[in-house]
Amino acid sequence: MAGILSYLIRRILFAIPVFLVVSIITFVMTNAVMNPIAIVRLGIKSPTPQMLAQLQIYFHLNQPVYIRYFYWLSDFIQGNWGRSLYTGTVSARVVPWIWTTLELQIPALLLSLAIGIPVGVYSAKRQYSKQDVAVTTTAIFGVSMPTFWLGVMLIILFAGTLHWLPAFGALSISSQYYYGGNIITDAIAHAILPIFVLTFVSLAAIVRLVRANMLDALRQDYVLAARASGVPESRVTYRHALKNAITPVITVVGLTFGTFLAGAPGLETTFSWPGLGYEFVQAAGNLDLPIIEAITMVITIMVLIANIGTDLVYAYMDPRVRL
Amino acid sequence: MAWRRFRRNKSGLAGIVIVGGFVLLALYGIFDAPYPPRSFVCLYQGCTNLPPFQSWAHPLGTELSGIDVWSEIAHGASGDLYVGIAATLISVIIGIAVGAVAGYRGGIAGALLLGLTQVFFVIPILVIILLFAKIFLFLVAAGLGLNLIVIALGIFGWPTIAFIARGEILRIRELEFVQASKALGASNRRILFRHIVPNMLSPIIVIASLAVAGNILTEVVISFLGFGDPSTSTWGLLLEDGFQNISHSWWVSFFPGIAVVLCVLGFNLLGDGLSDALNPRLRE
Repeated sequence: MAGILSYLIRRILFAIPVFLVVSIITFVMTNAVMNPIAIVRLGIKSPTPQMLAQLQIYFHLNQPVYIRYFYWLSDFIQGNWGRSLYTGTVSARVVPWIWTTLELQIPALLLSLAIGIPVGVYSAKRQYSKQDVAVTTTAIFGVSMPTFWLGVMLIILFAGTLHWLPAFGALSISSQYYYGGNIITDAIAHAILPIFVLTFVSLAAIVRLVRANMLDALRQDYVLAARASGVPESRVTYRHALKNAITPVITVVGLTFGTFLAGAPGLETTFSWPGLGYEFVQAAGNLDLPIIEAITMVITIMVLIANIGTDLVYAYMDPRVRL
Repeated sequence: MAWRRFRRNKSGLAGIVIVGGFVLLALYGIFDAPYPPRSFVCLYQGCTNLPPFQSWAHPLGTELSGIDVWSEIAHGASGDLYVGIAATLISVIIGIAVGAVAGYRGGIAGALLLGLTQVFFVIPILVIILLFAKIFLFLVAAGLGLNLIVIALGIFGWPTIAFIARGEILRIRELEFVQASKALGASNRRILFRHIVPNMLSPIIVIASLAVAGNILTEVVISFLGFGDPSTSTWGLLLEDGFQNISHSWWVSFFPGIAVVLCVLGFNLLGDGLSDALNPRLRE
């Protein structure tokens, strides 16, 4: 246990430079290049000199860029994310979006793991059979597909043509339009298509990986030895081969989760799903800098947490890593 | 030898055929497409929002503002192949350089570069690239057009290649022929570029082929979200047009998407085939 704890601390220490690098990139891109006052001017027709002076002080614009970065960073770490250039404080707006984003990401991740591992094992056990060819063909199409495009196609089919499911949003605008009559069925109806799309695409990646690793593991000497000593085939597959094939899968699943979080703008925009990705695109359209900065940093933190979690599971399953 | 193995590999061959087909499509788009890129000519001919398979002039239909889908897909092929390949080249160059130093030099510089690679690995790339495309380059360097996306994708795409390059260098530098060359008094640079780099290219070619696929996918998302270059034809831009009119004209979303899927599939198959042909250990 002590091994895992010190490993955890090392991983967290490693996350700090990542966080700092992303914060510098974000800050340089948004602040150093664009004068926030110029943006406010776009919105305010005739700012008074007093107003501009106050903004100068508020954004520390009288200070050099690197000093402003430290002001910004310490404010961010203390949870003082400032105000949106349009309405409300940044934290009050961004925090709910985290949950709506996770509402799609976590079920999709769990579903794709629950389906992907057995299908990958099945496919590897029957390499080059008809079922295996069907699975690998579907999977390679799955990884070659833009996530949002699959979403667009499903919207056209299920929402546009068949009218079975809603096309956009996380909830209907008022209770008289609720799918299935109440708020729970309505929420589920709205989540079905985006979760399906996300599951399908990450499922494809997981199946390909599990299959490749299983093929490799099934060829190893210890599998031959286990079979020779009369261990039942299912036990050889799941206890001996899968246990060794699964560890690299975990790393990739962690990375994939990060990719999907970062890929949220595409999927969420397609479904107008009010999560971090969709709102990021909206804020970028409005040049709402504080929101953009906060979302970038929040997504980075979520990706880092996902990575640390993955590493912990990995270390738990493979004791060599902890050393 | 590798080519003979590759030829027997059906998926790799299919990949080559598909990629070759898209290169031809791109050439067709550049030299012989029926309409110029982003041309609204149909607006004046009264054939907007035409469904597909209705007339020979517009085999895949037209978009609401008069863009011919087939011609635009052909123009998009050159745009997307350019983005995919050029961005990958940038990543490969940065990746090999970083990986070579980190693997061959070791020491503090090596450790720092390795750390930097790991940092870049975890960065949520798409969000950063969107930020880069919209805010930074849009205001600072507008006019570079599609090259902005190429630069952004290239700058953020190198960590995988650096990792593989480093691993290969650690492996190759211990091999006998490198030791022999060192014993004969060859300089570090000569060993690195004459002996090590040529020998580590095969896994990098595999990854590069997959990276082209990934870069095309990312470009499509960037353009679809409206963060790309609005004046150059790409599939993502056409998909954005289609999404605006999703309830009127499904074909504007459907056909460019098929083009993306096939093209990315081609590069993925090519990568898989190359990986099988170049790593004989994994076959059998």
